[in-house]
Amino acid sequence: MAERIKTATESESHHHEEHHIVPLIYYFGVFGVLVVGTILTYYAALVDLDWIFPGANTLLALLIAFFKMGCVVLIFMHVWWSSRLIWLTAIAGFFWLAIMFAFTMQDYLTRGAGVFTG
Amino acid sequence: MQNVDAINVGNIKEEPRVNYLTNGFTLKSWLLTKDHKRIAILYLVTVSAFFALGGAYASLIRLELLTPASDLLQSQTYNKVFTHHGIIMVFFFLIPSIPAILGNFLIPIMIGAKDLAFPRINLLSWYFYMAGGALTLYALLRGGVDTGWTFYTPYSTTFSNGYVMAVGLGIFINGFSSILTGLNFIVTVHTMRAPGMTWFRLPLFVWSHYATSLVMILGTPVIAITILLMALERLARIGIFDPAIGGDPILFQHLFWFYSHPAVYIMILPGFGVISELISNFSRKKIFGYEFIAFSSIAIAVFGFLVWGHHMFVSGQSIYAGLVFSFLTMVVAIPSAIKVFNWAATLYKGQISYDTPMLYALFFIGLFLIGGLTGLFLGAMGLVVHLTDTYFVVAHFHYVMVGGQVLAYLGGLHYWWSKITGKMYSEFWSKIAAIIVFVGFNLTFFPQFILGYLGMPRRYASYPDEFQVLNIFSTAGASILAIGLILPLIYLTYSIFFGAKAPANPWMLPGLEWRTASPPPTENFEETPIVTWEAYEFGEESGLDLEDARNRNKVLV
Amino acid sequence: MATHADALHDHHYHAPGLQHQFEDMGQQQESASIGMWMFLVQEIMFFGGMFTVYLVFRSKYPMAFAAGSNHLDAFWGGLNTLVLIVSSLTMALAVRYAQLGKRNLQVIFIILTMIFGTVFLGVKAIEYTKKYKEGIVPVAGLNMRTAKTASTHPGGRELSTRTGDTQDPRESLNTGVSESNTHETGEHSYYNPTGTFVWTDASLAAQAQQGGYLTDSEKIGYFSNGELNANKFRDKVRIFFWIYFVMTGLHALHMIIGLGVMAWLLWKAWMGTFSAAYYSPVEMSGLYWHFVDIVWIFLFPLLYLLGRHFLHGGAGH
Ligand code: HEM
Ligand SMILES: [Cu+2]
Repeated sequence: MAERIKTATESESHHHEEHHIVPLIYYFGVFGVLVVGTILTYYAALVDLDWIFPGANTLLALLIAFFKMGCVVLIFMHVWWSSRLIWLTAIAGFFWLAIMFAFTMQDYLTRGAGVFTG
Repeated sequence: MQNVDAINVGNIKEEPRVNYLTNGFTLKSWLLTKDHKRIAILYLVTVSAFFALGGAYASLIRLELLTPASDLLQSQTYNKVFTHHGIIMVFFFLIPSIPAILGNFLIPIMIGAKDLAFPRINLLSWYFYMAGGALTLYALLRGGVDTGWTFYTPYSTTFSNGYVMAVGLGIFINGFSSILTGLNFIVTVHTMRAPGMTWFRLPLFVWSHYATSLVMILGTPVIAITILLMALERLARIGIFDPAIGGDPILFQHLFWFYSHPAVYIMILPGFGVISELISNFSRKKIFGYEFIAFSSIAIAVFGFLVWGHHMFVSGQSIYAGLVFSFLTMVVAIPSAIKVFNWAATLYKGQISYDTPMLYALFFIGLFLIGGLTGLFLGAMGLVVHLTDTYFVVAHFHYVMVGGQVLAYLGGLHYWWSKITGKMYSEFWSKIAAIIVFVGFNLTFFPQFILGYLGMPRRYASYPDEFQVLNIFSTAGASILAIGLILPLIYLTYSIFFGAKAPANPWMLPGLEWRTASPPPTENFEETPIVTWEAYEFGEESGLDLEDARNRNKVLV
Repeated sequence: MATHADALHDHHYHAPGLQHQFEDMGQQQESASIGMWMFLVQEIMFFGGMFTVYLVFRSKYPMAFAAGSNHLDAFWGGLNTLVLIVSSLTMALAVRYAQLGKRNLQVIFIILTMIFGTVFLGVKAIEYTKKYKEGIVPVAGLNMRTAKTASTHPGGRELSTRTGDTQDPRESLNTGVSESNTHETGEHSYYNPTGTFVWTDASLAAQAQQGGYLTDSEKIGYFSNGELNANKFRDKVRIFFWIYFVMTGLHALHMIIGLGVMAWLLWKAWMGTFSAAYYSPVEMSGLYWHFVDIVWIFLFPLLYLLGRHFLHGGAGH
């Protein structure tokens, strides 16, 4: 008992305590990625990619958006340096969103109406 | 460890200097309190008021259904009455009942903390609850709504003729109360546990509230946005839920049930938690399969999000989706079954004492079993075509909601009453009341299974003559049930003023909440406890000589 | 043991910003950050409901969505994306300087964040106003009045010049010139007296019909008796604009709340409340701000850019 009063918290917060100061270069790096990503999103939307498969444009736009989001979450929001619980929380949020999308769409997509059928 | 000594010395503990109840008597000291225990009392009072109001509506429904014709109430009024009943009972009674009252009071104590992680947010939750409740009440008094508690479009949009917006807003605001409570609980369980209180030493009550909180956080915002959309739809008349111009009423149902099926677990998981406590403690035996019960709560919280379509089998949802939802509905029943088996195994060879809370717990197991199994009937895609929208569904969900959660709530309230108020209630009257509730409940709702099976539809003010006998049974049962519910109100209130003073540990149990005074001091414990024992530890490892103390206690009482 | 715990307790009790229910700053910090993340999960699900609505209707009526989207101004949308990204950077820096305990830099970056946030809202206001004047706010009874200048420019001219000087007839269709518009000559300044949603361009649907890539819902949703029906198409476009307004509106609401939080933070930072030991309010507000930014990262392509490729070529089917 002489050591610390809160053993329970400690086991979860291992490296969280030291409050990582992120070097500036990371922040500006992410900023650069975001700007480039935005411009890329814009120009990619002008090119017709439907010849690959219908909806390819949207997929590309979403991939870029997810990448941008990843950068913001990991660096700006410090998740990279956070405890496992925070990782889990961030992932769980999107996982549940995916549940909502998937289980709603499994109804709509099997009603006879397809998405972007070509 | 003075608590131990206090208990072992024969249970006559010194009065604490001030307890949380005597720490301030002004109105302000209550309305602006940040003490989780006082906030729990605020909830207790207000939630009970809503329960009474919901009960009044229920009586109206049962009275109307005494006769086949719609005589006491016109159909219009009847629609409003059952809608109001549903809204009040679900959103303003059942959802906050166990979590906001018992959970609020007990979680910090059970984990050895001084308070929840965010006491101010906790108070804010109560104000959200009050604001939402007040707005809803206002709307109900002005004329209310007749959409059913489910607010299905187009009843709530195109054909709405009531105060849908105001009631919707009320529920929207109330939703934040739920979200913030869940958030508070989760953070508290993660960061506020006392030294030595590891995850697997947590009482199962805490685990089940953790699972409930997950559902609150992940589900409630969806009902918020759904209600918002519904309100905007009324405002702007775009028709995203109106098939005439390309909208989709089934989308509303998807969004609604994405929350509302998981919400039924908000309405039962806390009950599971209470029952785990009661079964183990009143069998004086370590709970069987602790990890299974703990993880089955989490499993329910997760899988509960995958089955919402079982409310939409006949709505026009695709057959394929129906099949998937039907299958997953069967799967989600497994964790609930696991709990029931574990409770049964705990009872086996236990030293069972039939105190009032235990009576409720045993009733719970029986009634929940019926409720859950009939849920499986309803989850079977073929069978449900016959049973959906009949009294069978009504009976099903009352078996789980009333037979389940309400009985668990009553059991829990009795169990912790001495801790909350510091007074003992009358064991005699409480047992009588519990039995009356059980009898009244079954008489009310069992006939409804038969009625539904025979084809009596729900939500109508009149019915064919041949259903009258069973309906009379049901109404008679409801009267008995009402007596059973009014009795506790009387003897519990009586006990506050005239009841015997409660000792810190009236049942000689090992949980942390029994190791502080009744009622507890504002900081919960005189000093931060250090936990060295497992949950439900009745042996010497608990640090208390419970048997010895119990025997001496018997002599004393 | 008791004495030791007490000593610890007393020692920490005087830490600035430590609330009574916590034992130490680490615990408080940990609680705040878990709590904030739980709140963000809640926000994800809140917006998630809207994204589900979007997903359902977009998969049903992709062409109406494309048509509506093409009418949004990708320039303003893109600009706003950049503005928000800059504000996210300044916010991240504000947090960093709070961590380092540098009051002045912290204050400066909070102010910068607020400025960019306000610019964002300003641009949104410009966009909304434009939609309002064009009569494509999908709320029955709105869209009634034209701008004040309308009386001096009666008829549809004012509108067709508004989107630029192109003579492309499609372009003028895109601005949604309605019949009622031509009736309203004279001193009445009502462009759209019934306040209904105005939209006449169904060319994308025709294009998709020729290309053979209509969805099943579209085949029912845009056509009556086998004929392309401009009114039925308009209703679907209106659903797009409805979703657009609700989503961006909720996002803007979050921005406004964010600005309120920033104002409070600014005051606190100004007073020198935050130090290397206690800065979690800055950090938590930062999390919120970044989250709102992320929502926009998705809204931008999903609302503004989803049909652009149909305008250029679009013959690849
Ligand atoms: C054991 C697991 C359960 C299963 C398999 C199950 C299954 C079902 C099914 C399939 C329905 C839809 C019936 C229909 O509308 O045709 C239903 C309705 C309902 N269930 Fe359950 N259920 C279970 C547990 C619960 C619990 C624990 C609660 C609440 C505490 C609950 C509350 C409700 C409610 C309120 C409805 C009716 C909703 C309405 O239409 O107004 N159920 N259940
Ligand atoms: Cu369900």
